[in-house]
Amino acid sequence: MTTLNVRASAHRKIIGAVFAVPALALFGLFAVYPMVRVFYISLFDYDLTSPPHWVGFANYGFLWHSEQFHQSLEATGFYLLFTYVPAVLLALLLALGLDTKLPGSGFIRLLYFAPVAMSWVAISVIWRLLFQPDGLLNQVLGTHTPWLTSAKSAEWALVIASVWKETGLFLILFLAGLSRIPRELREAASLDGAGAFRSFRYITLPLLKPMTAVVCVMAVIRGCQSFSPQVVLTGGSFKTQVVNLYVYKTAFENARMGRASAVAVLLFFALLMVTMLQLRLFRSGER
Amino acid sequence: MTDVLKRPPVAVSSATPVRRRRRRVNVRAVVLYGLLLPGGLLFASVFVYAVLSALKPADEVLSTHWWPSRFVWSNFTLPFTTVPFARYYLNSVVVGVAVTLLNVVTCTLAAYSFSKFSYRGRTLLYLIVLATMMIPLEVIYVPLYALVFKLHWVNSFAGLIVPAGTSAFGILLMRQSINGLPDEVLDAARLDGAGEMRILWRIVAPMMTAPMSALALVVFMTTWDSHLWPLLVGSDDGHKTLPVGLAAMQADNAGATGIPMLVAAAVMAVLPTLLLFCFLQKRFVEGITMSAGIQ
Repeated sequence: MTTLNVRASAHRKIIGAVFAVPALALFGLFAVYPMVRVFYISLFDYDLTSPPHWVGFANYGFLWHSEQFHQSLEATGFYLLFTYVPAVLLALLLALGLDTKLPGSGFIRLLYFAPVAMSWVAISVIWRLLFQPDGLLNQVLGTHTPWLTSAKSAEWALVIASVWKETGLFLILFLAGLSRIPRELREAASLDGAGAFRSFRYITLPLLKPMTAVVCVMAVIRGCQSFSPQVVLTGGSFKTQVVNLYVYKTAFENARMGRASAVAVLLFFALLMVTMLQLRLFRSGER
Repeated sequence: MTDVLKRPPVAVSSATPVRRRRRRVNVRAVVLYGLLLPGGLLFASVFVYAVLSALKPADEVLSTHWWPSRFVWSNFTLPFTTVPFARYYLNSVVVGVAVTLLNVVTCTLAAYSFSKFSYRGRTLLYLIVLATMMIPLEVIYVPLYALVFKLHWVNSFAGLIVPAGTSAFGILLMRQSINGLPDEVLDAARLDGAGEMRILWRIVAPMMTAPMSALALVVFMTTWDSHLWPLLVGSDDGHKTLPVGLAAMQADNAGATGIPMLVAAAVMAVLPTLLLFCFLQKRFVEGITMSAGIQ
């Protein structure tokens, strides 16, 4: 009886381990291996078809002096700051107003959520129409801004379209965060005579902190990954060649796989640091 | 007299909270219907304007009138005749469904393994899976492309589907739910002589349909939106997905005459995920929230 049990449990362990194999095989081949390779390739001059040529840290040295790379960092910084700070703040304000069960609130939420379900390329095609020199935006504003064809406005055009697209996502998350705060807590505060602002500052905001941390990390990562709106709206011209587009062009238009990998490595460390920093900031504030 | 003297304190103490609450409700209603509803309509008007523009004759698309002077339904058929739009659509559906199914299967299996079995190395493997969440596609796509190139998977469905076949967040999401499954249920089935595959299929899977569908919706929506990877491994007409095809159409039709057709194509491209979202909003919100909470 006991030997049977032991054999059965050993058998069960093997089957259990086998269940994890498909996912682990895919991760190993398509995530872990490329992650190791990206460090390795960044030390080579490599065009995919001829054998890689060792160059040490020359790719990183090139980036240090590359005007184009610096501009891509600036473009990403601008996009990140002016898209995601307003989008997150707007989402937070909307969430406070939409956190109600009044009739029609579900429909109103849906109006803001809808862009989340639309693909980036499709909404960029749509916004391209609005940004035409004689397009809707200029008609509404009474201006004649060449939105997509001037260095002064192209980056703002991207910001406008992206805030419209991204606010709904953060709104979903803030609403989920608010729904986890017990209603009694806020009602107790209002009975104690705390005004709307004080109850927000001292009750809602602290309790919303974990979700805010998630939203901020997500915002930075999404901002650094941006690619489609730049491709469709500006093609990367007029100061909108963000880092990800720079990597793409370096690797696949100029066949500099090594140099592109070096940017990817830097991007990886930047994202890692930002994530750690944000999580630490939000955690220390909690105590 | 005594009645009159007694009444005021009682009345005050009970009336104040009621009045305050009513005022709060009114403020909420004013904000909601007076501010957030118009704001939401403004948000949605972008899409409404796009739909109306897609129905306009080409020379009206930049006019100040929202309403088309006549409805040009052919704008919606033009993409199918001038470019292989049906092919792009089909490719997007095939890739979206395949990636979704693969994710649900591999993530559920792995989550079940990590949650309900103990074997040597399990914790280490699980930590590796957790660590891969710190690796976005944007960091690894150059070597990933080199690998897929060597496998001769460029311009193939294998290249579009297989590398996206599993996800760390999916495993975590499924694991959270499977953790809540009592071991007694599984042990009872084992005592009845059920094999492990049978338990998975007959007991675990049916109880996990809620998290599975949340995962499926998020993966499908992400895949439908995916642009960079399909651009690299599916750039010929036979393998272009909607985002790649749309971006190429945009590049080929820079002038104003192509705009209504392009916008019609964009509207058709967002419809499946938009409709799914409208009908399954609760599930979507669940999936998005869970996937974000995990990251």
